[in-house]
Amino acid sequence: MRKSIIRRYKEPAEIPTASTADIAFLLILFFMVTTVFRTTTLRLKIQLPQAKSTERILIRRNINHILVDVNSKIYIDDHVVSIERIGGLVAQKVWDNPDLNTVLKVDESVSYGVVDQILDKLKEAKAFRITFASEQRR
Amino acid sequence: MALRKKKRIKPSIPTASMGDVAFLILIFFLTSTIFTRDRGLKMLLPERTEEQEKVKVKPENIVTVAINPAGEAKIKAVGFDLILGPAEFSEIKRVVEEKLLERDTLLVISLRTSKDAPYRSMVEALDQIKLSRVTSADGRELRATKISLIPTSEE
Repeated sequence: MRKSIIRRYKEPAEIPTASTADIAFLLILFFMVTTVFRTTTLRLKIQLPQAKSTERILIRRNINHILVDVNSKIYIDDHVVSIERIGGLVAQKVWDNPDLNTVLKVDESVSYGVVDQILDKLKEAKAFRITFASEQRR
Repeated sequence: MALRKKKRIKPSIPTASMGDVAFLILIFFLTSTIFTRDRGLKMLLPERTEEQEKVKVKPENIVTVAINPAGEAKIKAVGFDLILGPAEFSEIKRVVEEKLLERDTLLVISLRTSKDAPYRSMVEALDQIKLSRVTSADGRELRATKISLIPTSEE
């Protein structure tokens, strides 16, 4: 009788930790499944042209996107913008960051006249560094 | 009695560090993941001047690539006069490379795209120009660096 009492005291308290990993993975999976990336760009259907000499843009913080969809609508920062307003908007961005690299994501079936008008506005805004977004062709 | 006790020890693998291992793997993948970067063809636009100043370039230093609304290209240079269908744009590379060998750094490429031409054709032509590179007789790598984008309109 006495012996058993002593034994009870010796047992160390323990929290089972074997399932921590499972819980962690469960949480990761939960957040992975429930995370929704920006869906606004999905509504714009932009089929980029393909080019073999496609380069990667290494510095990401200097990037300014200008998107042009199939219907020649122009988007800057998720807003539809008229051609006349591009100059002012981009000039402001160049003022904030002189190293600005303007990435033109233009649908391949848009007529070149639209692109030319944008290029003209960019020259006006002194945004000389540009990139014609394209997909790697193998 | 003593014999019995020895048998009762259960074998077990320590699992307390499983969580740590999981997070380690997680952090490794978090830091090594690269999101799709922007990719494209880089260009540097020229400064815009009030009065269009005219730069004189000798005709033998110019390769003109003109693209019409149908997406066909026309190459004009001294010694070349080709009309290319939309699938034959790789010819541009050949002509530019040949001219590069001949003219070295003096070569200017004028890409004249019709305002009604699809953007795709213009990018394809620009791609071919950018792809062209040759090694000169003295071992330097020559590339077409002077490219001017000119819009044209048919009237």
